[in-house]
Amino acid sequence: MKFTKHLLAASVSVAAIIATAPAVFAQEATIVLPSNTVGLTSYNPVTAILTNAASFLIFDRLVEVDAARSYHPHLAESWEEAEDGMSWVFHLKQGVTFHNGVPFNAQTIADWLPLYDGTDNAYYTAAIDSIQVVDEYTVKFVMKHPEPNLLYNLAIMGVPEPKSFVAMGENFGVTETIGTGPYKLESFDIGQQTVLVRNDDYTWGSPVAKNTGPAKFEHLTFREIAEASTAFLELKTGGVDMLLSVPADFVPEVEKQSDLKLVSVPGRELVYMVMNVVKEPFTDIKVREAAALAINQQEILDNIYGGIGQVADTFLISALPEAKVADDYRISFNPDKANALLDEAGWTMGADGVRMKDGQPLEVSLWTQSDSVFRRLSEVVQAQLKAVGISAEIATFDSAMIRDQYKSGEQQVAVRSYVWDNADIVDWFFGGDRLGYPNISMFNDPKAEELRAAAMTGSKSSDERIANFTAYHEYVLSQFPFAPIYQPVVSVGYNTSRISMPEVFDAPGIGSTVLMDMAPVE
Amino acid sequence: MLGYFIRRVLVLIPVSLAVSMVIFSIIHLIPGDPIDNLLKIGAGPEQREIMTARYGLDKPLAVQYWIWLSGVLQGDLGTAIVARRPVADLIAQALPHSLALGLCALAFSTFFGIVLGTIAALNRDRWPDQLIMTVVLLGSTVPGFWLGLLLILVFSVWLGMFPVSGARDWSAMVLPVLTVGLGGTALVARVTRVAMVEAGQRDFLMLLHAKGMRPARIQLRHVLRHALIPVVTILSLRIGWILGGAVTVEVVFARPGLGTLLIKSLNQHDYPVVQACLLILAMAVMLGTLAGDLIQAAMDPRVRAAL
Repeated sequence: MKFTKHLLAASVSVAAIIATAPAVFAQEATIVLPSNTVGLTSYNPVTAILTNAASFLIFDRLVEVDAARSYHPHLAESWEEAEDGMSWVFHLKQGVTFHNGVPFNAQTIADWLPLYDGTDNAYYTAAIDSIQVVDEYTVKFVMKHPEPNLLYNLAIMGVPEPKSFVAMGENFGVTETIGTGPYKLESFDIGQQTVLVRNDDYTWGSPVAKNTGPAKFEHLTFREIAEASTAFLELKTGGVDMLLSVPADFVPEVEKQSDLKLVSVPGRELVYMVMNVVKEPFTDIKVREAAALAINQQEILDNIYGGIGQVADTFLISALPEAKVADDYRISFNPDKANALLDEAGWTMGADGVRMKDGQPLEVSLWTQSDSVFRRLSEVVQAQLKAVGISAEIATFDSAMIRDQYKSGEQQVAVRSYVWDNADIVDWFFGGDRLGYPNISMFNDPKAEELRAAAMTGSKSSDERIANFTAYHEYVLSQFPFAPIYQPVVSVGYNTSRISMPEVFDAPGIGSTVLMDMAPVE
Repeated sequence: MLGYFIRRVLVLIPVSLAVSMVIFSIIHLIPGDPIDNLLKIGAGPEQREIMTARYGLDKPLAVQYWIWLSGVLQGDLGTAIVARRPVADLIAQALPHSLALGLCALAFSTFFGIVLGTIAALNRDRWPDQLIMTVVLLGSTVPGFWLGLLLILVFSVWLGMFPVSGARDWSAMVLPVLTVGLGGTALVARVTRVAMVEAGQRDFLMLLHAKGMRPARIQLRHVLRHALIPVVTILSLRIGWILGGAVTVEVVFARPGLGTLLIKSLNQHDYPVVQACLLILAMAVMLGTLAGDLIQAAMDPRVRAAL
């Protein structure tokens, strides 16, 4: 009987998958999520490891960040930080309600933040000792220690309705989800699509977006398509209206189509070449500097990435204040100096174009991952290193496995990228206690550790943190454990007969700002 | 027959245990760690230790295996480490999609494979046979992802007949079913043709001819019936393939399914999900083989007599 029941249920599921008719909405847009955000299994803002653009529309945040990485009010109208960094006071926006009608106020914050305790995201709130409700719309955080990175964390943390969150348990974010955002969750088919319906009461949008609400589209469908060529063909045939991230290979194809348009949004990725400072020949700082100066960033930008994006000359994306280092620390193509440095280091040019020292050729193994863009990039880097007499043999590893290869510490030089928009990435990749992975360079320098400690835990205010991280960043740059290469932008492709978009966004990446400012074509 | 069935089912128990042990060992031998996918930038070594302990990954492998196996035996597949959902929920989401695609593709390849194989056998060494076998050979050698993209280009981009991707309605099923089904059609057609040719050389057919039975009736009622025994065996062996054989097609057509779930979880080293997916696929293959043997016994009195 039980088996028959399960069989019947399975048959109904299979039949439903075969026969389900699509919903058609009057003001609807269908958007393909970037492939690196495919695979979300829950819109749970407290426990989720992965988030996507739809979650930015369901949940609002206390503060928003703009393209220049300045913080702006959203659910918090204003805030004050104590001089010693030991407390923060947030004044909250009035008249905000959750999707279920529950009002948003100071008690919401007091109930929400403790939900992070014991989760893998607990570090967001780890520096907060206690939360005091000062009045209905004012809340005070008493800190265990100064946390100048607090606004950065709050700009990521979506605010759910705490009582529903607790009541729904594991189902929150799967069957139902409640935030204060411009859209409500209508349906979520894991691995397939998320349908959002407009929150008509929404009037409290962030001033970073031109439209503070309600949103212009009644329904938004976010589809998950991991295969880039399939996503492009959907856009080309009108099956979808927008790709939130057009892969570099398809940008020229989108440009060719008269009804499609591209708009660029700042990215959070940085491509670089990292050198292992404890492996020969990169134990010699002159060789590291020479290899870094041999990289022609502009040539790579033009030939590999079609001129879209910008060259990198530090370890941080250029929008971050800590990337504004003194010009002397910037790493740019300089083949003459690279050759002179290798001569100084005793590596003399051989007849076959490979330098020699003590009878040994200047040969290195260049590690890369199996993605086609990385393979192409590695070949160009190989040619650029060869131009100054460094012979690099490319070793390709599976993208999912290369991280464990790095843990062996056997790498000499590798081409890779990271996606992050906070200066603490310098600590992550060059911290002396993370050798192997993530510290692929094996860089462990006493002075760097001193500067790192000051940057990570010795700053009381945001300005002090910026100054400390800039100093740490400059020192790491001066030791050449890496060569910066490229900063991609995110290219949003959309159908101009269905969607209108502003030409420029004041947004740090794909998020609510971009999606709130798009409108249906009349 | 009943005794044979019981013996076969009993054999499944040690085989399943051995399979579970192999699956568990292989997953944990692959370089990688799910904690790498959970740690956020800025997390210190102590956070890695906390997380490793939280998910029980600090315990000896044998202990981890026992915890997992005892959960599975009680019907609990565990919770995904990276995906943060009960594994049973993730599989329940994916399985109907894989079943729908696999069953439709199986039905397609069975019908067209038998029809084409029969036509080829009836026209042995003549042009319809050569044409069908050439097409069939092409169909079985073309990679699924390439065929999928080609079908999208022709039927979606040029002709606009079907959606490019997705799993929204029946029209989105057509191209994935064609892509998966064409490979199976080639196999069934080849097996049917060979079996028909062999069955057509049996002595009893002379008696039927002598009795004056029409050739078409002999072919369809007697030759085809004999030829279907190996075809059914082949089809039953493909039950495991129904669930997990369409990974690349699922990716090309952006369809959810067990294959997509498995690949994603493998890349993230999400052990509980990978273990559950592989166990289900292995069980499907084992049960498919058992079903194939039983069907063969039911269809062929000689096999029954030998049991």
